[in-house]
Amino acid sequence: MKWKRSDLQQYVQAKEYIDTILLPLVPIQLSNDEETDKYSAQAEVMSILANGIEKELTGRTMLLPNYNYLKTVDITTEVQRLNNWTVDMQQQPFAHITYITFDSRWKKEEKGLIGNLLWMPAVQTGEIHSKEMQRIIRDQVGQTVELIRSYWN
Amino acid sequence: MSDEKQQVSRRQFLNYTLTGVGGFMAAGLLISPIRMAIDPVLKGSSGGDLANVGLSVDDITADPQRIDWSVDQVDGWYESEVSRSAWVYKNDNDEIVAFSPVCKHLGCIVSWEGSEQHPNEYFCPCHDGRYYKDGTNVPGTPPLAPLDVYEQEVKDGMLFLGDVIPQGEA
Ligand code: FES
Repeated sequence: MKWKRSDLQQYVQAKEYIDTILLPLVPIQLSNDEETDKYSAQAEVMSILANGIEKELTGRTMLLPNYNYLKTVDITTEVQRLNNWTVDMQQQPFAHITYITFDSRWKKEEKGLIGNLLWMPAVQTGEIHSKEMQRIIRDQVGQTVELIRSYWN
Repeated sequence: MSDEKQQVSRRQFLNYTLTGVGGFMAAGLLISPIRMAIDPVLKGSSGGDLANVGLSVDDITADPQRIDWSVDQVDGWYESEVSRSAWVYKNDNDEIVAFSPVCKHLGCIVSWEGSEQHPNEYFCPCHDGRYYKDGTNVPGTPPLAPLDVYEQEVKDGMLFLGDVIPQGEA
């Protein structure tokens, strides 16, 4: 399910079945030209990846809009803000709150986070819509789906 | 003076064009139902949205295999590529069957033999929904209907798939 009205209406009717949150953690910044290229590309890949996972697991998983933050910020200051988001989500019976990100800096903060962190190395982005890229992302979707399923068991 | 003249001619111009367009549209309205009525082939070909999924009929076996393809979808102003998937196999009567992998409970993607405990069935990872090989939902699991089937066609030995056709409650 996604963050849209029709899905949320369905969610409210079927809460007992949808117990997993998927929240992409996506850094942005505009101050440096080279970096904008890298981070916008990563954000695009993350969007394809997250939507791919949501499609596979839509009946049990709610994909939320990105958690965005400034790339240049000290990540430790983001931990509290992310946890605040998470506490709000926990007002509903979500048993599994999963963050998904390419930003390795979260890895060091993992212990302080309420939800599960799925960090994965960013795919080196060539042409995003190339066949090769689609295959890579499809693989990555499959592997991530397996990981999320392992939390369920 | 010349202003007025221009206005008239602009109005005339509009008149001509609008009549033209209207006439054209009226003709379209008249023609298309007739064409549809007398020529079912034409009607059928509007289902030209069947897509070649890149699978040769010779490669279809009794074991369901997952295939993925993408189709262009026009949604309002947006044209986008959407990916589709299917489970394809040959049943006991040697007929090709292509199932939509979308679980009839809440829409997760099912896999053939997706669970080791349940061989020879489709399995939905979300709430352990199950379907027999012929797509019928296993009673007592969350789905209440059999898997949808794709509209299909074989052309030049290749499989073409179109829209999904729901199979009704079971
Ligand atoms: S979505 Fe398949 S069993 Fe619930």
